[in-house]
Amino acid sequence: MVQLRPRASRIPESAMVDEGQPASEEEEAAEHSLLLGQPSSGAAAEPLEEEDGEGDDEFDDEAPEELTFASAQAEAREEERRVRESVRRDKTLLKEKRKRREELFIEQKKRKLLPDNILEKLTTAGQTNIKKSSGKLKEATLQKKKEEYEKGSVSKNAKEKVQKVQSVGQNKSYLALRLKDQDLRDARQEAAKAFIQNSLYGPGTNRTTVNKFLSLENKRLPVKKAAAQFLNNAWGTQKKQNAKRFKRRWMVRKMKTSKK
Amino acid sequence: MGEFKVHRVRFFNYVPSGIRCVAYNNQSNRLAVSRTDGTVEIYNLSANYFQEKFFPGHESRATEALCWAKGQRLFSAGLNGEIIEYDLQALNIKYAVDAFGGPIWSMAISPHGSQLLVGCEDGSVKLFQITPDKIQFERNFDRQKSRILSLSWHPSGTHVAAGSIDYISVFDVKSGSAVHKMLVDRQYMSVSKRKCIIWGVAFLSDGTVISVDSAGKVQFWDSATGTLVKNHLIASADVQSIAVSDQEDSFVVGTAEGTVFHFQLVSVTSNSSEKQWVRTKPFQHHTHDVRAVAHSPTALISGGTDTHLVIRPLMEKVEVKNYDAALRKITFPHRRLISCSKKRQLLLFQFAHHLELWRLGSTVATGKNGDTLPLSKDADHLLHLKTKGPENIICSCISPCGSWIAYSTTSRFFLYRLNYEHDNISLQRVSKMPAFLRSALQILFSEDSTKLFVASNQGSLHVIRLLEGSFKHLHTFQPQSGTVESMCLLAVSPDGNWLAASGTSAGVHVYNIKHLKLHCTVPSYNFPVTALAIAPNTNNLVIAHSDQQVFEYSIPDKQYTEWSRTIQKQGFHYLWLQRDTPITHISFHPKRPMHILLHDAYMFCIIDKSLPLPNDKTLLYNPLPPTNESDVIRRRTAHAFKISKIYKPLLFMDLLDERTLVAVERPLDDIIAQLPPPIKKKKFGT
Repeated sequence: MVQLRPRASRIPESAMVDEGQPASEEEEAAEHSLLLGQPSSGAAAEPLEEEDGEGDDEFDDEAPEELTFASAQAEAREEERRVRESVRRDKTLLKEKRKRREELFIEQKKRKLLPDNILEKLTTAGQTNIKKSSGKLKEATLQKKKEEYEKGSVSKNAKEKVQKVQSVGQNKSYLALRLKDQDLRDARQEAAKAFIQNSLYGPGTNRTTVNKFLSLENKRLPVKKAAAQFLNNAWGTQKKQNAKRFKRRWMVRKMKTSKK
Repeated sequence: MGEFKVHRVRFFNYVPSGIRCVAYNNQSNRLAVSRTDGTVEIYNLSANYFQEKFFPGHESRATEALCWAKGQRLFSAGLNGEIIEYDLQALNIKYAVDAFGGPIWSMAISPHGSQLLVGCEDGSVKLFQITPDKIQFERNFDRQKSRILSLSWHPSGTHVAAGSIDYISVFDVKSGSAVHKMLVDRQYMSVSKRKCIIWGVAFLSDGTVISVDSAGKVQFWDSATGTLVKNHLIASADVQSIAVSDQEDSFVVGTAEGTVFHFQLVSVTSNSSEKQWVRTKPFQHHTHDVRAVAHSPTALISGGTDTHLVIRPLMEKVEVKNYDAALRKITFPHRRLISCSKKRQLLLFQFAHHLELWRLGSTVATGKNGDTLPLSKDADHLLHLKTKGPENIICSCISPCGSWIAYSTTSRFFLYRLNYEHDNISLQRVSKMPAFLRSALQILFSEDSTKLFVASNQGSLHVIRLLEGSFKHLHTFQPQSGTVESMCLLAVSPDGNWLAASGTSAGVHVYNIKHLKLHCTVPSYNFPVTALAIAPNTNNLVIAHSDQQVFEYSIPDKQYTEWSRTIQKQGFHYLWLQRDTPITHISFHPKRPMHILLHDAYMFCIIDKSLPLPNDKTLLYNPLPPTNESDVIRRRTAHAFKISKIYKPLLFMDLLDERTLVAVERPLDDIIAQLPPPIKKKKFGT
């Protein structure tokens, strides 16, 4: 047997019975109707009250109190006004809080930033530089490539925008490039180079070393000679260096002892 | 001549970079060559194959295609996805346009010269319009599945053949759609797992498409039907390049084994009109892959990974059969990469991305002619200076006193101060160099190391005074008229009064440094200047041109000297004029004003102006005869040109002091030893 989970009650809370608090019921009802956007006065308010009245019957044998419509309406209106006031006050309080926080942030930011005059210089320098450097060739210290070109065509896949910013007082210039395009370009170039390397020098090609190639003739001479690069000069370089250093030190030591 | 001790230097580890693309321009007879490090060099084939201009390389600019467009415009495209136009007057990059297709593998300019096609990594073929000052993207052709490795226009400009991996497509230019797709066999009549890469295509006007691929085949296709017509298997390795002549009766292909094949359209029988393509001549001038070939009207040009540029004139096309029809192999640079500080016996070597400073060794032994003297102190590697950034070093110089080093890249200029204490050396950089000094083509220090002369590629010459740890800009000599012409070579007189500068076209200008104005201009000669120097006391300017002419001009008198007029009237010896390599350095003896010392890659020569000049009948190369020959014979055969071929290949030779010479050699085997691996050759018996 499947146990059904207790479902949340669909009856609005304000309709629930709360013993001994008829006035608060009305308040809640009024609030609820306010929240639901229903007209707080008029016919809609009445059935709720009647419901509450019915709920009361189960626990109380007494007859409900007699309330005139006018007084109830007046009370409801009072409640509404009070609620509205409170909401408005809350809102204004929040607004003020937010304002104060904003101002605090602005002040902190101002303290972090440079003084105004330097900021002005930066913006004007940036603008003039972009105009000036459109014709010149500038070296990029961070990036290898610099791209500045116009294409009068229609079908282009990706246009790369370049921003040149010059920092004041340091005379350095750098370029901003979209790294995604750069990666793609490099990958394709690497693939192309690998293709050429593979097709010319890869497996299946009949290549040999230069030494063997140059020594072919030496092998066929009537008096056979050695290979063209018979000595391997790169053999044991570390050993040779150590030997040289040791020899130098030994000579110095020998000189010292012989002098004594 | 005198006795000299010669420092034979072989520790300059110079390895040039391999040639990747070659493009020939018919109107101006110039050849553009691009190397794997991004350098683009322009050779003037009519000026004795001299390299007259070059654009320094850049690490990210690996060019894969090079083309000439109408009006002497040079375009290149590379793996960084950009199409670059070069400014041949100002010697810099005009602009770079990104094609947005990924790395670019091939480029072709339409026969009319108004449109440009690039084949990209993503399989798209993009059409650009060439406008007078820029290029503009027009449209894309149909996108193919794999990368487009080669492109060729039909001579009428209506169709384009594009070679890719395992297939060739023929496009219709107007619609941009692929008309035919021709599938290529992976191996000649067999199966293979390796994909067939179409390295080159050529489109002939009768609709034949010639393709060369990595299986070693040359195939002829009919583009109207899309079928294979003829198949030639010429190599067991890749065939990597193809170039067709303008008349379309011959083409040349280069293979990975280093062989270059010449194909010609030959009639079937002697008087029939039917013709067929026949493989006529193989040439083996390279040891490594031949990655670029070009076909000029009279010669086949090839270049590859072994860094030689080989120009082979075709005998049947050459008009006059003289020395011009010989094979030319350009291996060594036509500029000076080494500078020398005489006082401290230091050598500065310029590499692509770093500089090396070496101190020469010394010896105390003596000997006679031809002896090798043992070193008492070895040569010392003092400094290894790496440059920051991806650009190559254009030029560098060390001051004669050895305390300043300057070098320049395209975007920056660097000046360093060196301090020597006992055996240690410390370096200090002079910061805040002015921006107008960058992209210098030649840097020179004055003899007393107080002034620095910089020749920029815009045509202006800057004079800078060097103070202790800082500098002061003294003056700038602006170029003459409105033309922008880059100043290539500089020479300063030892007394510090005169500065000579030569540009790419006009004559040599001589400036007076004391008064800071132009003194005179040597009349221009139609061959470019390869070396300049000013003699110590007489202030004679010695100029060497690329056609091996040497002129001597007196600066104070503003006219050619007597000796120069005499030798011009008589003419140089024919063997002197037939030398292959240009003279790259001229120097003088401080105590002997009649001697001029000059060298090229395979000889060095001391010209003695007091001795008689040789005519065509005398022996030019006459080394010192043995002492038992009579004096009379020696006097009869003695002439002004004392040539020695002991030290070769020479990269640099200079006089350090009165009794010492330094010769920097670079044996070819040492260069080959550092190249990439070549294709294996199977020889019987090994």
